[in-house]
Amino acid sequence: MLGEFEYLLLGAAARLGDDAYGVAIRVEIEGATKRRCSIGALYTTLDRLEAKGLVVTWMGDPTPQRGGRPKRMVRVTGKGIREAKAFYNAVSRASRGVSWA
Amino acid sequence: MWMLSVVARALEPGERAVVLGDIAESGEGFVAAACDLLGLIVRRQAAIWADWRPWLALLGVAGLAGVPLSRIVFGLNAGIGLQLRTYSKYGVWYDTGVTTQQEIVCVLCTAIALMAWSWACGFVLGSLSGRAVWITWYLFYQVVLHATWARFVLSGDIFLKDPRPLRLLILLAVPLPLSPASIPLFLSSLLGALHGASRRALSVSGAYLTCVVVVSLTILTFWTGGWHETAREVWSGGLWHGSAWVTRLPPFLFISWPAAWLVATAQRETA
Repeated sequence: MLGEFEYLLLGAAARLGDDAYGVAIRVEIEGATKRRCSIGALYTTLDRLEAKGLVVTWMGDPTPQRGGRPKRMVRVTGKGIREAKAFYNAVSRASRGVSWA
Repeated sequence: MWMLSVVARALEPGERAVVLGDIAESGEGFVAAACDLLGLIVRRQAAIWADWRPWLALLGVAGLAGVPLSRIVFGLNAGIGLQLRTYSKYGVWYDTGVTTQQEIVCVLCTAIALMAWSWACGFVLGSLSGRAVWITWYLFYQVVLHATWARFVLSGDIFLKDPRPLRLLILLAVPLPLSPASIPLFLSSLLGALHGASRRALSVSGAYLTCVVVVSLTILTFWTGGWHETAREVWSGGLWHGSAWVTRLPPFLFISWPAAWLVATAQRETA
């Protein structure tokens, strides 16, 4: 079962598609949660997801905007999509009949 | 940005470039960027310490070898200090009962052996600790420099005339080589740690050569150290008996074990 932050990261990476990398994923997560996402949390979680085979990462091309430094690109794997779906379904089932309002 | 680049050196080169790029692109302020960077470094360091190897480095090298090595460093500093103080005050050398030549040989043997032990200890620290090498090396250096005199102070054998706690604490915490024996210790152990962190293991021939050098220097230091014991026995007219070699030997074995580790890991690399 995924953790909450792992799910947020997978969701952000899936939404961004080919443009998924560190800064873009942070912006997505911060937009969704309205909370700050630290670089430490992002990259340690990304490593964990990669070790589980839920994402693959690789070094992108350097850009002038980044001072000539590369991006760490992210792609969600088939296993990652299945795990995210399972998490979403579990949360949906757990929320059925519950009104938080 | 240059300050962040310096701090980011605690990260692996690939990750360092990515993270500094992220910081540049996101246009974060210095404080937020520094917090982000330190947060990642702390998480990475914490992950390293989840492994058993840095702990083995800390307990085996800083603890097991560092404490007896501290006695050697203390003895060397005390011996050199006593001679220099006596000579500068009275114009003569302090008579320890051995000849000047023997004294010089004894000090040289110990100083060279200290370099070999420190290098071997540093290498094992580096090879076991990886990116935690700075922490384990710093703790090893502190143990070697301070364990013996701290024990003497705590046991009441030495009194600090004017301790000034804050000044003393700063002096102790900063790893500066401020005494004669701490210079070879500092340089050799740091060099060994950097080699160990980058190479991880020695070649079989290199490991055997290091082991032979360390063992030979250990035997020489052990043997020349006995001259003072004999001299004291002679001076006391047989009333004072020095430590038997059986009781003097174990600390030297503990100090030398990293050399055996180098041989063991070098063999494993080629197996």
